[in-house]
Amino acid sequence: MGGIILEARDIRYRYPRGLEAISGISFHIRRKEKIALVGPNGAGKSTLLMMFNGMIRPDSGLMLFDNQPIGYDSVSLRTLRKRVGFVLQNPDRQIIAPTVYQDVAFGPTNLGYSEKEVKASVTTALSHVGLEGFERRPPHHLSGGEKKRVAIAGVLAMDPDVLILDEPTSGLDPSGSEDIMELLDELNHEGKTIIISTHDVELAYPWADRAILILGGKILQEDIPEVAFGNPDYVRRAHLSLPTLLELHMELKNRGFLLQGKKPRTVLDMMQCFETILKKTCRHARPGAITICNVDRDNRELLLLWCSTHPSHSVGAMGTRAKQRAENEQISLDFTYGVIDKCILKALLGEDSLILTTESMVSRVYQRVGAYGRESGISIPVKPLDDGTQPVTENVGSVK
Amino acid sequence: MFEELLEDIAQKNGIREVNTYLKLAVGLGAILLCLLSTSYIPPLFIALLLTAAILILARVDAKTYAELFIVPLWFAVMSVAGIILISGGQEVFWSWDLMPSFSLSITRESINQGVFVFCRVIGGMSAMIFIALTTPMTDIFVVFRQSRIPEVVIDLMMIIYRTIFILMDQVIQIYNAQLMRLGYSTWRESIHSFASLCGAAFIASWDAGEDLIRAMDARCYDGKFALLGENRPVERIPCITVVLFFLLSTLVVIVSGTITLI
Repeated sequence: MGGIILEARDIRYRYPRGLEAISGISFHIRRKEKIALVGPNGAGKSTLLMMFNGMIRPDSGLMLFDNQPIGYDSVSLRTLRKRVGFVLQNPDRQIIAPTVYQDVAFGPTNLGYSEKEVKASVTTALSHVGLEGFERRPPHHLSGGEKKRVAIAGVLAMDPDVLILDEPTSGLDPSGSEDIMELLDELNHEGKTIIISTHDVELAYPWADRAILILGGKILQEDIPEVAFGNPDYVRRAHLSLPTLLELHMELKNRGFLLQGKKPRTVLDMMQCFETILKKTCRHARPGAITICNVDRDNRELLLLWCSTHPSHSVGAMGTRAKQRAENEQISLDFTYGVIDKCILKALLGEDSLILTTESMVSRVYQRVGAYGRESGISIPVKPLDDGTQPVTENVGSVK
Repeated sequence: MFEELLEDIAQKNGIREVNTYLKLAVGLGAILLCLLSTSYIPPLFIALLLTAAILILARVDAKTYAELFIVPLWFAVMSVAGIILISGGQEVFWSWDLMPSFSLSITRESINQGVFVFCRVIGGMSAMIFIALTTPMTDIFVVFRQSRIPEVVIDLMMIIYRTIFILMDQVIQIYNAQLMRLGYSTWRESIHSFASLCGAAFIASWDAGEDLIRAMDARCYDGKFALLGENRPVERIPCITVVLFFLLSTLVVIVSGTITLI
């Protein structure tokens, strides 16, 4: 976590002839954080989000970006909006141009990039969201998920430091939602600060670094998700529901089971809870290995060899490029989101698995498996596909 | 949703990747040749070639193409009937004195004239449909910009093009919602429903307009609309095909001279 990038000091805002939408909110957001703003409809989430890039000016109070008060003259606003990208809830409203290329190029063009730079930034943005080859398609021919990706690409093309998304998963099917959340994870891993508003608790709970519960224009609770969603009273007041895992954990606790450690955020954490309760481990004597295939390297033969020698084993892909690669090689994927955890679960059953991922995400697999190993005392071997001879254990892997 | 249908086909047609100028040249050139010819044969010949191109090269479904053709063809049939009956000539086959100063007659000249006009309509139609089905609007915008049409006009056209589909979607949704609640069951009711549909569409588009400004502002709008993608390169085979098409059609125009049907 870096320094503070966005800060609000006692901001208030009243809509013309309306109720007070924001009544005294103060908080700060650090660099590279993943923040979920959670609250019922009409709580002031969208209004608050619009203040981050200067679309709405608070009546009183101070908004700071990068420790500087936000200026509301057109020059400062331009600089601010380049660095704070905003993705609207309805992609149809965000996409303004008749083709995907033109829409993604809209921001860079208005920033005065040269034609070559515009093209480069559009290509990068589209490959980020996995929409290469969609340049000349008109937006009304795209599916909901694809439109959302175009909208995100349009903002990414300006290379902002902070990405704000208003209800990023509204109107998407569950798998599309998971895909978008994974894309956000990937972007966060590349150093972008991400702020989303949502009322999908199940989605925000495992994803966010910090959750901010908002009700009636005020902050109800602001903490790590386990705590923010952990108070049934607050959750009820905010018209939300408890995440299933937390509820289960609470019910187990109420029944007198002694549960140590932190509250579970994933199915994997929950499994550990059960194992401590049952005082027995359901795992195999020898955990299965996780193989990592870096799709940015040329290892097609090795990949196909692995798939042919491990026909019934699970394969997961993390990141858009990895999923595309799997599609190109006609590898059927068992996991497309929450991949690392699912592979650890498989490993605990003694099964081997393969993770396809990009260069930048490789270290994350080592980190996650390493962290799990330290917590549970089970070391799961992780090895890169390129040198299958030497399994790298979690201790080596956890060193970034 | 006729417009959407046409645009959909154009976006996916078999010769989408051919240079836009070549396709426009074929369409406009064909219309010009149809107008220049003095016989009924060249327009038919051009229509035949273009229909073959639409069905085989652009791989447009024959049924869709026929449907597109039939509606304007009815107009053509009716106006040609008028031409045949009203215009006079020397060699009269049939005539009927409707009023002292006005008679309906079918003559050799009027039949020739009617057939000629009818064939021209078919030729021109196939050329128009050829452009509509092979060249999506998004590609035509590129041509507009290259031919120095003012930026403001093009930007407006692009925004309109984009919003038409959104507005249409909304109108269909409102219409269906009204239909489900029996909004069009009686004549009075349907007038009332249609009025409220118009009102709702107006409010929806106003809303969309405000959102559009917001979306543009959030991405640092500075009066510039995004650059357009570039045109496809002129490739050899399409180029040769186009030249062949023009040579052949011009030849037919010259050879057929003033041949008439009867």
